Amino acid sequence: MSPRRKTDLLFPVHEAQLSNGLRVRMVPDHDAPVVSLYTFFQVGSRNERPGITGISHLFEHMMFNGAAKYGPKEFDEVLESNGGRSNAYTTHDVTVYYEDFAADALDTVLDLESDRMRSLTIDDRSLRSEREVVKEERRLRVDNEPAGLMDEALHALVYQAHPYRWPVIGWMADIEAIRRQDCEAYFRTFYAPNNATLWVAGDFDPARLLGRIRKAYGDIRKGPPAPAIVDAEPGQRGERRAELRHPSRAPSLVIAYRGPKVTDPDTLTLDVLQFILGVGEGSRLQRALVYGKRLAVNVGVDWSWRRDPGVFAFHLELQPDADPRAAEDALYAELRRVAEQGVEPREVEKARNNLRAHLLREFTSNSGRAHGLGSYELFLGSWKHGLGLPEAYGRIDAAMVQAAARRWLDASQRSVVTLIPEEARS
Amino acid sequence: MTAAKQRTTPAVDVGRGLRLHRFQTPGGLPVTVAQRGRIPLVAVRLVLASGAAGDPAGKDGLADFTMRLLRRGTAHRDAHALDEAIEFVGASLGLFAGEDQVAVALTTPAEHLPAMLEVLSELVRVPSFPEEEVRTERERSLGQFANDVDDPSLLADRALLRTAWAGHPYGHDVSGTRASVSSFGREDARRFHATHFGPRPAQLFVVGAVDPDAVGRQIESAFGPWAGGPDHGVEVPPPAGVARSGTVVVVDRPEQTQSQVRLTGPAYRRGAPVQFAAQVVNVTLGAGFTSRLVREVRVKRGLSYGVGSSFDTLRAGGLFSISSFTKVETTGQLLSVIRQETERMRERGPTQAEVEKAQRYLAGLFPLRTETNESLAAVLADMALYGLGDDWLDRYRDRVRAVTRAETRDAAARYCYPEAPLTVVVGPAERLRPQLERFGPVEILSADDVL
Repeated sequence: MSPRRKTDLLFPVHEAQLSNGLRVRMVPDHDAPVVSLYTFFQVGSRNERPGITGISHLFEHMMFNGAAKYGPKEFDEVLESNGGRSNAYTTHDVTVYYEDFAADALDTVLDLESDRMRSLTIDDRSLRSEREVVKEERRLRVDNEPAGLMDEALHALVYQAHPYRWPVIGWMADIEAIRRQDCEAYFRTFYAPNNATLWVAGDFDPARLLGRIRKAYGDIRKGPPAPAIVDAEPGQRGERRAELRHPSRAPSLVIAYRGPKVTDPDTLTLDVLQFILGVGEGSRLQRALVYGKRLAVNVGVDWSWRRDPGVFAFHLELQPDADPRAAEDALYAELRRVAEQGVEPREVEKARNNLRAHLLREFTSNSGRAHGLGSYELFLGSWKHGLGLPEAYGRIDAAMVQAAARRWLDASQRSVVTLIPEEARS
Repeated sequence: MTAAKQRTTPAVDVGRGLRLHRFQTPGGLPVTVAQRGRIPLVAVRLVLASGAAGDPAGKDGLADFTMRLLRRGTAHRDAHALDEAIEFVGASLGLFAGEDQVAVALTTPAEHLPAMLEVLSELVRVPSFPEEEVRTERERSLGQFANDVDDPSLLADRALLRTAWAGHPYGHDVSGTRASVSSFGREDARRFHATHFGPRPAQLFVVGAVDPDAVGRQIESAFGPWAGGPDHGVEVPPPAGVARSGTVVVVDRPEQTQSQVRLTGPAYRRGAPVQFAAQVVNVTLGAGFTSRLVREVRVKRGLSYGVGSSFDTLRAGGLFSISSFTKVETTGQLLSVIRQETERMRERGPTQAEVEKAQRYLAGLFPLRTETNESLAAVLADMALYGLGDDWLDRYRDRVRAVTRAETRDAAARYCYPEAPLTVVVGPAERLRPQLERFGPVEILSADDVL
């Protein structure tokens, strides 16, 4: 175990690895008698195949349905009875479980979490019930939500071969088709300790905690290495477009460019570009499209880090009478301005200040520290890279931002989804 | 220079290691500074005791509209200069309107606190409401209504509020309606500001790794000249129960495959002594992942992804509401299950084991409510606005633990819909009507009726 401290850092991180491969990270802080525990599994919809899309997310639900020691639904029952709460989320790349709780419940939470990693029960009855719950979740987030429909259409347009093509929640018929045996195989491969990292932040003594973690998790057997993912995505040879008709009152646009994977050196430069273009009331697109030309009601730029090549996307909610083509042109004019004339050094400095403030904000709570550092470790290879981000952003200059805009915001690598309002049909 | 320091009263110890430093600026602005933490980010919150309940007749949404315009120009800077001043240093600014209050929340890197206090002071003292910005903001708000039609959950919440509290100052969404917002002009915003703003009904909170004396001097310098304002916020009469109890209001969205469902009945005003017992009832019935509603709706029947209950309490009154959603075909079944569970809770209350579990849940998670500087600033502001008392943070867990089962039974009997609740459903009216008629008279609205 090696406590590490960094000058810019206001808390120590203790690291360890158990013999079964489980990585353990501890961030003690004694300000309040609470603890947050995060378990990161390196699995998401990118590990799926057609026919059982959505299994990562459905499986996340199954993790609350009982194991050898704690039976169905006892996980939350025990946790909440001890002054705690839990939740989980699944993305294209990762599945994360977390608990916030009163510090004196730490042993109980370790017992609960290790129980389900060791001996999850997967039965047909709970699978049937969770399937219905997930279908409602899909109806909520996608089928009755234009932004969800557009996002789904966009990914199917950008990706032809890579698993990022399908939605994390899965296609409705696939959710229906997933069998118990699929879940069992999934558990054996992806929920083994060697595919997981535990992050604990809050009010505890790290040496004692590590002893308790060894006791709780030490006997869980190592799993096989997760199968490698083949990224068979072919190159894109020109703009792709899709239309979505929906009984909305106003049109919307999602426009995406193919971006790099998170470990590419351009990733952080694109973070800066994202802030210059779209974060804050004074950002370029907000000024041009919302306040200047008044074409859009809201503009967002989404550059989400992904383990495989991701997308740099623009979301535009338009004024009801706005012409989507005119809004597209106005956006492209702004992007051309960056590529051709570059950005001001002051804009880069502003983006850096905001990225640093974001990082500080993330680190103000136990939950934020555990989640933030765990995510940086998963995406960047080490949590230390996360703590070094302010310095890394400091090395980015205006010329690099302009070069990245030229490289990545190329019209031939673009995909456009337009939501067109039409009359309701019941 | 030392005026503020002289005014600094000895710090008040509010328990849990937290000390509050309080003083008033010469103009009469009450200030609270809480020193804590190590992360160099400071939270600043300025609240005024009038909100959307003070919107003039025909001008629903004016408090919210006025707040959003604060950053669009002042006597000294235009919108762009303000955005630059705030955003360049990595600070962030939120402008909010609630029914009882408006608030400006600012988070800033500690080294820029003095400059950000100057900006904050400018926003609330001398906003200029430029004609052009008023027009843009109005168009943007109207455009937002068009986009809101696509959000069934938001339509349900809007329909619930305006029906439950119809005719009362709380009976409209804080963002107003298309009709009211269309009528907004510069003079409306200017008048709202002139009527309600000033240090007297305001309070300022600063939380973070700061030196209270230094912050006192900075506030003095930034807010020194600010004086006046009304003595107190808008007086709101207590609402007379919930209007149209027993009615089922349907907002027709023919294309939806899922219904949004809400139920509501009258509750208590914010800070009423019954709140601790009521929260135990709420946790047992519908908070967290192991509530009775989650068990019956989600776990046993797979009817929904989510179901929850909550007390929404304000200065003059409150609501006890339940919220869920399900596919159109099972809407009636979902409502039956919810009504059955509220009835069971009303008649027998929580069991002793459930009371104890809810107490541990509420007490164990309480420290998380004030974990960040922003959240502590917001809780301190609520303590002041709603008169919760200086011992609120310190005593909360003891008060929760002191609740008896008899008290929870009383609370359940009072708030779990002794009169039939008002029900709101958003979805395809034609297909829903046959499922809903058994719950009460059905009234059908269009989305336009609630926007």
